[in-house]
Amino acid sequence: MQRRSLLKVLAAGGSLGSSLLPASLLAQDGEGTQALSVDELPALEGELTLYLGRGEGGLYENVLEAIQQRNPDFELNIRRGPTASLANAIVAEAGAGLRRADLFWAVDTGAIGLISNEGLARDLPDDLVNQLQDTFRYQNFAPVTGRIRTLPYNTERLTAERIPTDVMAIPDSGLSIGWAPAYASFQSFVTAMRLLEGEQATGEWLQKMGRVAKSYAGELGVVMAVERGEVDMGFANHYYTLRLKSGKPDATVDLAFTNNDAGCLVNASAIVALSEGELPINFIRYLLTREVQSFLATEAYEIPLVNGVAPPQGLPDLSTVSPPDVNLTRLADLRPTLDLMRDVGVL
Amino acid sequence: MKFDTMKALVLTAIFSLFMATAAQANGPIGDHVNDLQAHLDEYSEEVLWLIEQVEEIVGNYERGGLANTNPERVVEIWEEVNFHAAIETNYVPVYASIWQGLFGVRQAIEGEQPIADVRAAQVSLEQSFWQGLGAVKVAAQFQARGLVANIEDTEPTSPVETLTQIGQLLDRVVAKYAERLPEEAVSIVYDTYLSRFEGVEGDLIEQDADLVEDLEIDFNVNLPQAIENGSTVEQVRSVVNAMQSKLNRARNLLEEAEANRSSVF
Repeated sequence: MQRRSLLKVLAAGGSLGSSLLPASLLAQDGEGTQALSVDELPALEGELTLYLGRGEGGLYENVLEAIQQRNPDFELNIRRGPTASLANAIVAEAGAGLRRADLFWAVDTGAIGLISNEGLARDLPDDLVNQLQDTFRYQNFAPVTGRIRTLPYNTERLTAERIPTDVMAIPDSGLSIGWAPAYASFQSFVTAMRLLEGEQATGEWLQKMGRVAKSYAGELGVVMAVERGEVDMGFANHYYTLRLKSGKPDATVDLAFTNNDAGCLVNASAIVALSEGELPINFIRYLLTREVQSFLATEAYEIPLVNGVAPPQGLPDLSTVSPPDVNLTRLADLRPTLDLMRDVGVL
Repeated sequence: MKFDTMKALVLTAIFSLFMATAAQANGPIGDHVNDLQAHLDEYSEEVLWLIEQVEEIVGNYERGGLANTNPERVVEIWEEVNFHAAIETNYVPVYASIWQGLFGVRQAIEGEQPIADVRAAQVSLEQSFWQGLGAVKVAAQFQARGLVANIEDTEPTSPVETLTQIGQLLDRVVAKYAERLPEEAVSIVYDTYLSRFEGVEGDLIEQDADLVEDLEIDFNVNLPQAIENGSTVEQVRSVVNAMQSKLNRARNLLEEAEANRSSVF
């Protein structure tokens, strides 16, 4: 899987669906373009089958229902299930010479890697890809919304300056730390660390952390433990803290970030087109509209990945955080991560 | 239990869209559970057969004591009937009571209890069988009217539906514990937390952070400990009932929040 730089070389799929869009908004020479309004999109007509990975809450369902209501001549069949299971089903169906899904919306980009590696993902047109922020442009899938790894900390016990900006230094910080090693997003974070820092350094980091960290079943549990002052800080996706503060404005927790390492990894939900034709591509365009991206940002605290839509309240702009450059599809390689975590005794 | 009460409870249970798909203790669910109406006579005959078999076992105990009895047979007969899957896929709370009753009779005999105590356990078990048959009959009515999805359709499509499903999965925890499968019961608790509750607690924490914290403790401490410490089935059921009450509160909160949510376009 290559990013935008390779797209320029490949110049793949540039014309699909583009003729229906305003010329002023089409990509020029690989530059980014602003997200479109739904009013600028063609109506959807026909029938598609979407495989939808189980995700956070039910807000993806709200989006899908809204798209169908807006397009009375469009019928969307949805098969729901765990993301990894659906990815395996798509590969198995392809192996049997079948294609039941036209689209696959996965909550974790890693699962898309499986589809992509099997050559089942269609290339996306440039004008669609260029609506995404430049670090989220991929040739054959579209990240939809993101989530960032954060360090929630108790604001009564310490300040952000007290927290290392290097994730590798955190075990030696002298702070009490909460983590949820069984949680899928944490394991993706460890996978990113493996890719960025190597197996040995990651194994040593896990061992040190295993000695100082307190384990929780999930990352909301981590954030709540931080807020209670049970631990000074923790590891968690950003939205738990934002949602806790939304429901409890005086919560004594805030977010800190590491700098350009796995500690501030941005992972994303993503969609891939599996069948030919303009309809699947145009469906993806709806997910990247200003309206859908704003809805998911305000209602689910997810991070918009298109150009020109503000992040959820309480989260800094991604450009100020400097997340690491990791090919998200490589996060599917979980087995070595789980082996490593078991070897050092944290799982 | 009165029939109307049973009807309401079964309606709640089957409309939750929770239907077991995993392999069961006595093997996979048969296709018969997707056509309950056509098999009601069979289930009724099986209940009568079960009651006869239990009577024979208890009668043997009354006449000749433990040496004249095979108490394990009480559980074996339950494994042999299709009614087992019919009740397991439709009304898990009664399913748990049946297991509780089966082990009640078996343990009373194995413990060489007075015949009056064994007979009391037998009566309790028979009541569970009849309750179960009533629940299946109600479920069959709804299924015949096309109001219940087949067992394959299991994925909830909203946080409210997910909470309903979580409540049903907790019933299954009690059932598996009553079935003397504590490890499987704990496994369901953790799976439910990680694959279901984690997905809705983000929505819920915006509405009531304390409620989420309570449920977090229930999922990760109170319920697993009740199971692992060898509590009685009633004690485990009590923890689950308390959790289901909190889940009902959560469901109301999320329904209100959804009603006030902004539209996408």
